[in-house]
Amino acid sequence: MIDIQYTQCLNNFLLDVKFSMPNTGITVLFGPSGSGKTSILNLMAGVANNELLQHASFKLNNKTLDDSINKIHLKPWLRKLAYVFQDHRLFLHLSVKENILFGYKRNLSNLNPGDLIKIFNIDDLLDRSPSQISGGQKQRVAMVRALLSEPELLILDEPLAALDYQSKQQLLPYIEQLKQQLKIPIIYVSHDIKEVLRLADYVVVIDKGKVIDEGDIADLCLSQPLLTQQEGASFILKGEVNKIIEEDKLVEINCGKNILITAENMQLKQHVKVLIHARDVSLCLTPPKDSSILNCIAVSIETLQRDNNDKLRVFAKLGEQTIVVLISHRSAKLLKVEKGKKMYAQFKATAIIK
Amino acid sequence: MIDIAPILVTLKLATITTLILLIIGTPMAWWLSNTRSRFKVVIESVVALPLVLPPTVLGFYLLLALSPNGMVGSFWSMISSTPLSFSFTGLVIGSVIYSMPFVVQPLQASFEMVGKPIQQAAYTLGATPFDTFKNIVLPLSRRGFLVAITLGFAHTVGEFGVVLMIGGNIPEVTQVLSIVIYDHVEVLEYTQAHYYSIGLLLFSFFVLLVTYTYNRKLMVRFS
Repeated sequence: MIDIQYTQCLNNFLLDVKFSMPNTGITVLFGPSGSGKTSILNLMAGVANNELLQHASFKLNNKTLDDSINKIHLKPWLRKLAYVFQDHRLFLHLSVKENILFGYKRNLSNLNPGDLIKIFNIDDLLDRSPSQISGGQKQRVAMVRALLSEPELLILDEPLAALDYQSKQQLLPYIEQLKQQLKIPIIYVSHDIKEVLRLADYVVVIDKGKVIDEGDIADLCLSQPLLTQQEGASFILKGEVNKIIEEDKLVEINCGKNILITAENMQLKQHVKVLIHARDVSLCLTPPKDSSILNCIAVSIETLQRDNNDKLRVFAKLGEQTIVVLISHRSAKLLKVEKGKKMYAQFKATAIIK
Repeated sequence: MIDIAPILVTLKLATITTLILLIIGTPMAWWLSNTRSRFKVVIESVVALPLVLPPTVLGFYLLLALSPNGMVGSFWSMISSTPLSFSFTGLVIGSVIYSMPFVVQPLQASFEMVGKPIQQAAYTLGATPFDTFKNIVLPLSRRGFLVAITLGFAHTVGEFGVVLMIGGNIPEVTQVLSIVIYDHVEVLEYTQAHYYSIGLLLFSFFVLLVTYTYNRKLMVRFS
């Protein structure tokens, strides 16, 4: 884990954060606008104003980047952190090619620019000026530029925020691919719950300059109200691809029990996370014999909780993992849902987000 | 006949003044655009003084300072045998001060327009501040430099009051175009005054025309 701690007086509030992030995968800093997320990123990258900085400690791969006790604050150009900003910040007087080679040359990077150019599909843009390409393309170029500097940590500050819906949908798979292939940790700022659920491995929830919660996404999306309110409750099942059923375009995933999802481009033994919304799951006492719903898995009821919308949130164990089901009070009475009861959870294979 | 000497003196003065102003004005504008020092406003006001001060006031104090008994003048006579007042060097010093805001202000504005965010991006990619200044800020400030050079040069060419006070009107040394025109008008030689005046008018118009045309091209490129 990478430990990060900053205390600084900002214009309108005190930023006082202490959190850890895993050495791999995407850590999302999640919180409302103006909660201090970008300030944390700027401090990490060394580009923040150090005035009024009361405490700072940040180490990466045994290198001290910030240590206020010993008055160490490494200059940003020595930190080896790549930063993709919300507003691409490409250099407009340089071509796309010169832009992506800017950090590459200065860091004596060992990477092959051709690989990243191909992955991010920017071959055709290389000779153009950044002012001639679209918003989504700019962000892809900015990502290649950042990655080519061979960073030890990648910072993404709401890279999708300035894009329209369609460009967002186009860029998301690139970020998911990054997550799969990149060995370095990624810190990703977002206030969009959908992005968080789709991309995060680890979440740090920030509000008014404080860390109010942190943990694995699978745990946090069960317990953290900020994550369950906007989109309604949801849960994540972790598993491994067990079988690929080509003719039905289905994949069987072992998450303690076997579940089926509709998915393409999966590989055997691949580790996956499956996001399921609680509203898409139903409970029954006996497995129906003639249902179109493919997944009907035995679960054991754990607890019942009142939801904001006058429904009941039922937590149940599926193997070792916890699922959440949203049901009405009437259903709870009819089926006598109570702690310890064995039931069947039904959910459609298509109700699963990759 | 037209005397070519004042034209040469004027061009020489404007060229040297502009070069010196670029050398000292660039770091000054850079500092002004980045600092949060409370002295910033003081320096900004001092730089802008020639914009509002009558040239005679500036010329008067320069005359005092440059004279052999003045602060600058006495120091100059220590390191050099020639006096500073009524010399070409004295004229250059006066012009540098007088034209300073015309170079520093456009540069400062263009540095500020490039902005911190783009510099931060360069830092995170491994560029040092000097590297960033040379390869990012300078090229992005081309328009500012174009405006600064044009205004600095043209303003020095058009200088009158300060030159009159400290120049001494010595032919081939400190006699510049604007003074020659004044002299001709004073003795009612309107024909000669016309030659120089029309020349200056066309020159100024031409310089501005080229600048604005080129400026527009740059603007199109960066937009």
